[in-house]
Amino acid sequence: MNFLENIILKLGAVDRRVIFVLIGLAVLVPLLTPISLPVRETPTTVKFYDGIENIPKNSKVLVSFDYGPSTRPEIHPMNVGVLRHMLRNGHQIYISCLWPDGIYMALDALEEISNDEDPDNESSFDIKEYEDYILLGYRPGAEAVIKGLASDLRKVYTVDSKGRFIDEIEMMDGINNLNDFAYIYSGSAGYPGTFEWVKYGGDPTGVPMSSGTTSVQVNEVIPYVQTGQLIGLLAGMPGAAEYEKLINSPGIAIQGMAAQSFAHIVIVLFIIFGNLAFFIKQRRDRKY
Amino acid sequence: MSFSAILGAWIAAFLTLGIFSYLYRDNPFYKIAEHVFVGISAAYVAAISFWTQIYPNLFGRLFPKDGPLAFTGLEFDFNHEFNILYLFPLLLGVMMLISVFQQFNWMARWGIAYTVAIAAGLKAFGYLNSNVLNQVSASAVDLFSGSLPFFYNETTPYSGDTVFNNIVLVVGTLSALMYFYFSKEQTGNFGRFTRLGIYFLMVSFGASFGFAVMGRISLLVGRFNDLIEYSSSDYNYATFSVLLFIIVTLGIWSFQNPEQKGN
Repeated sequence: MNFLENIILKLGAVDRRVIFVLIGLAVLVPLLTPISLPVRETPTTVKFYDGIENIPKNSKVLVSFDYGPSTRPEIHPMNVGVLRHMLRNGHQIYISCLWPDGIYMALDALEEISNDEDPDNESSFDIKEYEDYILLGYRPGAEAVIKGLASDLRKVYTVDSKGRFIDEIEMMDGINNLNDFAYIYSGSAGYPGTFEWVKYGGDPTGVPMSSGTTSVQVNEVIPYVQTGQLIGLLAGMPGAAEYEKLINSPGIAIQGMAAQSFAHIVIVLFIIFGNLAFFIKQRRDRKY
Repeated sequence: MSFSAILGAWIAAFLTLGIFSYLYRDNPFYKIAEHVFVGISAAYVAAISFWTQIYPNLFGRLFPKDGPLAFTGLEFDFNHEFNILYLFPLLLGVMMLISVFQQFNWMARWGIAYTVAIAAGLKAFGYLNSNVLNQVSASAVDLFSGSLPFFYNETTPYSGDTVFNNIVLVVGTLSALMYFYFSKEQTGNFGRFTRLGIYFLMVSFGASFGFAVMGRISLLVGRFNDLIEYSSSDYNYATFSVLLFIIVTLGIWSFQNPEQKGN
């Protein structure tokens, strides 16, 4: 027993750099030798999927890219999935960005789903700018931008991301504010993002909306799902993986889930060892 | 593979591994990556804000084509009409910039006061409507009508609208709220009830921690995916080369700068 306790004490006091290396390996090994783990859909993801599925076909939808490279691994797979799902249902997509680098994330996502290189790929599309989608671009101002879009989109966006006048783009005919969209989606990594879209976009206009967020935000955003202010939610990388499964388009999120699971096991083990070591040490200190 | 793509991969691999090197200890590679990140982020946001907002939306409205200020020689054609009201944001912006000179730093207060007032007004309604009223009305749930199943069943696969969940919601909300009621001593039955509130809060904090860990691991997965991609021959083995360079240089540097105890 004493021997076991000594081992636990040693594990509890292990150098932090050893833990970093172990977590690194727990993530790296499953990525190098892909392991397939089952992905089970959670209710919020199913609700999210149903929400998009229920938009009348060939509608006009607003998709906001509110993240940058730092949170790309979590949000990007969701947004790629959402674009695929919406294009499959024949929607016209209007892309806005509340984050400066969101525009590059949007360009990457559009390139990823375009079938320029592989026309036979079922997960890609023959998309045409100004017919299937329009990239409105980034505007600074956070909630002020959303408020502007809710009242008069053409005051916020006079030109699109390529500098073309909005008034001269056919796809923009009949689009004057958020009420002209059938659905709003925000792929959000923080401020400005989901919270601002709910407060100044979805709630005041009544346009149905949903969101994909980083894991860190999930606990704060989830009440909006329960109240119906958001129609479902994609919660971090697991949410993206579940959604990829639902739309039958496996991607990078599903691949990352094995690494995610192994890393969690390592972290949980160290939390257990750390706590056991703490209690053993406390007991021994009391004894002597 | 184009030269720019290979160069980009080498820079990305260097900056990623430079940031990771902090896990060993604070070192020059980490400092380089950190400073490059901060500098580029600030410059990028400044440039993009100017070209996407100030240039078309401010200058475009103050100096439109054939506008009254065309005689100045400044003309920006963005299909806008002249609007004199846009002089005010220009003036407030200039006043904020002039405040770098100490004798004029009072000027920044006007711009700050305007921004704070606008933000407060804008946020007050949003918070009240979305975070207070909607949440309060959603916590008024059905407990006793008998129309809901007690637990999940086939008819309510994921709606969450069951009597049991509603009881948890009501008890959790009330007990957690009462924990922050400090006008009555938290003893006896009231104390036990508020203690239940602490447990609900602890469960919530635990869930937040779990999600935070999950988020960080997701980001690590993303960086590793990129590093694996850059380690291929297409990118001239960028990851391996940079990793070797950083390890060797850090090794030499560590011998020359041994870690002090307590660092």
